[in-house]
Amino acid sequence: MFVPVIGASAAEILILSGAGLAGLGAAFGVALAFASKKFQVEVDPRLEQITVLLPGANCGACGFAGCSGYAEALVKGTADIGICSPSSPQATAQIAGLLGKEAGEKEKVVAFLHCAGGKVSKRRFTYDGIGTCASAALIGGGDLACEFGCLAYNDCVRACPFGAIEINEIGMPRVDPQKCTGCGICVKVCPKNLFELVPANKTILVACSNTERGRFVRLICDIGCIGCFKCAKTCKYEAIEMKEGLAIIHHEKCTVCGECIPVCPKNIIHNFAEAGVPAQQESAEPPPEGNQS
Amino acid sequence: MDFGQIFAIIIGMIFVNNFVFARFLGLCPYMGLTKEMSSAIGMGMAVVFVMTLASMATWPVYRYFLDPFGLERILRTASFILVIAALVQFIEMVLQKVNPALYKAMGIYLPIITTNCTILGVAVLNIDTFYKDGKPLSGGFLGSTIQGFSAGIGFTLAMVLMASVRERMEMANIPKPLRGIPIAFITAGLMSMAFLGFSGLIKMT
Repeated sequence: MFVPVIGASAAEILILSGAGLAGLGAAFGVALAFASKKFQVEVDPRLEQITVLLPGANCGACGFAGCSGYAEALVKGTADIGICSPSSPQATAQIAGLLGKEAGEKEKVVAFLHCAGGKVSKRRFTYDGIGTCASAALIGGGDLACEFGCLAYNDCVRACPFGAIEINEIGMPRVDPQKCTGCGICVKVCPKNLFELVPANKTILVACSNTERGRFVRLICDIGCIGCFKCAKTCKYEAIEMKEGLAIIHHEKCTVCGECIPVCPKNIIHNFAEAGVPAQQESAEPPPEGNQS
Repeated sequence: MDFGQIFAIIIGMIFVNNFVFARFLGLCPYMGLTKEMSSAIGMGMAVVFVMTLASMATWPVYRYFLDPFGLERILRTASFILVIAALVQFIEMVLQKVNPALYKAMGIYLPIITTNCTILGVAVLNIDTFYKDGKPLSGGFLGSTIQGFSAGIGFTLAMVLMASVRERMEMANIPKPLRGIPIAFITAGLMSMAFLGFSGLIKMT
């Protein structure tokens, strides 16, 4: 070992090693240059541009494997433009311009949680397992006395890729309509199916999903729909339907006049545009009974 | 190289001298990429792939280039880094052309591997194992390839074990100050100690 270098001067070693490394480097460089020509893969330049324009959240709302998957499908022409809920209309228009197509108009939707009382409702038993809704829901539908209600173990908060679901002052998840992009991930993760994607401009909704009769609802929850018909009678546009003892507001007919909000004896008709925006104000004020109307 | 020697290399690299548990190489991906099983397996597979090819590439470079020119002491590390970097680049190009599906699966891990110490570690270890007193042992190329491959398998084993433990710990009720990385370090230490049980199984010459 080390034989040829023994007896060589420091300068010779230096030159030899420098030349050796340079020769090796040059050989690899040439080989790589050839390889890059030989193995060149044609990539559509639009692919990269579209990938940049997409939000990069990889939420999967479009049904493709992440944003890059959607971008590829767009370039191939197998996907529709504008099915990406999180991307802004401007970005969608730019993508359409790149592909030389018209962008379809897309209504902005946001998620809404159809329950306000998961934290105040009575519990049937003490659940001491893994702290996720999915896990709690496996045991007889969860520990909540209301079989429809939000278990409030915040699976949706963790799942939201945009941080749009926060925990409000009574410990319930609340969607911030400003941050929500309508990707629908919370709809999928909620084991109680309490989220609904609603048009962002139809901001008045019933924050309850309990279809039981008012008598039973009263027993277990202070803020549950008791099916009193007051809102349905008040609505001039016949937008509120009573279905199995639960008020349901139909977006097509609702004009967001807000007249149903004050008549509800349980204060569960929410205008989420008002409930979501003044998030800073709320923290300054004392917590208002857990519902904003 | 008889079968016994090959078997000893494989068992030795996977269990006894596991790169992560016994040599403490590649701890960066071991901690960083074991939060999810899928990324642990992806990284592990990419490491197996690159380690095998790097062993096959670095051995001839040392044997037929550095050794005859008497540069083995001076240029070993530098030229190995060069070889590995060029190799990974080359693999990436070829994969993208030949097998886009595999490229997609490994794509993000390949560039990370370029500068990974396990790859350089296995290249240097091959030289240490299959050179004796400055003379190459017979069957060095085959031995290096097998050693590289089984070292990769050992690394993958460590990654998969850690990922399975960490995935379960996500759900466990861990004291607050220990959540996340601290408990992962404790786990890594315990696993390393457990793997100490294999020491002495194989007599490394």
